[in-house]
Amino acid sequence: MNRPARALSHGFWTCLGCRQLVRVSPQTQSCLCPRCGARMHGRIESSLMLTWALTITGALLLIPANILPVMTVIYLGAGEPSTIIGGALELYQNGLWGIALIVFVASIAVPVMKLVGLVILCLIVQWRLNVAPRQAMRVYRVVNAIGRWSLLDLFMISILVALVDMGAIAEVEAGAGSTAFATVVVVTMFAVRAFDPRLVWDVYEARLQASTAVKNKTHRETE
Amino acid sequence: MGQGLDQTCRHTQNPDTGPVAWQRACHQCDLLLTRAHAPVGQSLLCPRCGASLHRNMDRSVAQTAALSLCGLLLFIPTATLPLLEFSLFSFGAENTLMNGVQALFAAGYIWLASIVLFCSVLAPLGKFLLLGFICWGSGWASMAGPVARALRWYHHLQEWGMLDVYMLGILVALVKMSDLGKMTVEPGLYCFVAMMVVASATSVSFDAETIWARLARRRAQSDAAERNQEEDTV
Repeated sequence: MNRPARALSHGFWTCLGCRQLVRVSPQTQSCLCPRCGARMHGRIESSLMLTWALTITGALLLIPANILPVMTVIYLGAGEPSTIIGGALELYQNGLWGIALIVFVASIAVPVMKLVGLVILCLIVQWRLNVAPRQAMRVYRVVNAIGRWSLLDLFMISILVALVDMGAIAEVEAGAGSTAFATVVVVTMFAVRAFDPRLVWDVYEARLQASTAVKNKTHRETE
Repeated sequence: MGQGLDQTCRHTQNPDTGPVAWQRACHQCDLLLTRAHAPVGQSLLCPRCGASLHRNMDRSVAQTAALSLCGLLLFIPTATLPLLEFSLFSFGAENTLMNGVQALFAAGYIWLASIVLFCSVLAPLGKFLLLGFICWGSGWASMAGPVARALRWYHHLQEWGMLDVYMLGILVALVKMSDLGKMTVEPGLYCFVAMMVVASATSVSFDAETIWARLARRRAQSDAAERNQEEDTV
């Protein structure tokens, strides 16, 4: 059975900067793209290790990001520092459930989903799990698309800090949690960048090859 | 669309027909295709994993140049006019694109302020500038080097421009504080919305392949002109 032709096994690399197809000799470790001049590799270099490292960093930073307060609204001298979850809950209790949902999705659901998605993708490649590659690609694309929306909360904080600044009457202050949260978003965006989805297909092809080899062997033995 | 699959399958069924002129590999699943570009007005999807490989917009260069110029012009009122005003009793404060960053800097949140500054001001501005330069510079063969570098920078900068996320941040801030004091929308916000729309339209209309094709054409033209000149002098 013939499988669809894949670039790496045919001696081709794709430049990830300009997507130019380049023929390379088998010994080449890395080279510069002849069209755009970016450094090229067959697969993103140490992709799995980098993605693991950045994902774990993001997961660890998510703890201070959720425990420490991100923002304090001081009104007439009184105000409690609120965490990310607290901010969303407060909006919900004030009856603004639409905005509460947006904040919940952007700053709690998205980072958690992103980290879970990255761990799933890394595990598929690491343990060579038997997962349909199209499903894995769906996870990859969702993780890729939703990442930037978690910065919403931080933009809101930066707007409020400038807007509500009336000394003793009303003031909004940023909290230490916001720094941790910003780092989570940036680190996970880099993690998605570091992950090479072609590894998922490499695992898939390798498994198919192994199973056809076994089939051929048993076929020959029975003959 | 789909044509890539037919050709790939045909090749794999008859491997003896000789080498196939592979044109492109899917950047997400590494499938080799015999077709590199989509026809004008259509997009090329990977037949196996469904990744969008190339979207060929009609008049991509002219549109992108016009839109990025428009975005740059809109950037001026957006950055200078206030976006929102918050008033409480007789006190009032305004929010511009920059003073949120300044307030965070002043409060000592340097890392946070840098991220906000980069994603909401520098990256969108850089994208407009780079795209304007790319569209303009690709008309000259001598600009091939700087244009290639600009394309690479644009590729890295692309996902960091977050005007749409910032817009949602403004809306959340608007609703969240409306029970505390009086929030008013200022003219800068309308410019901001326009700039956000223009920014999305610019990234949709831009197609790097068209630029590469244009650069190659210009280089061929200048080479031919040089050859002609040499022949004339001989």
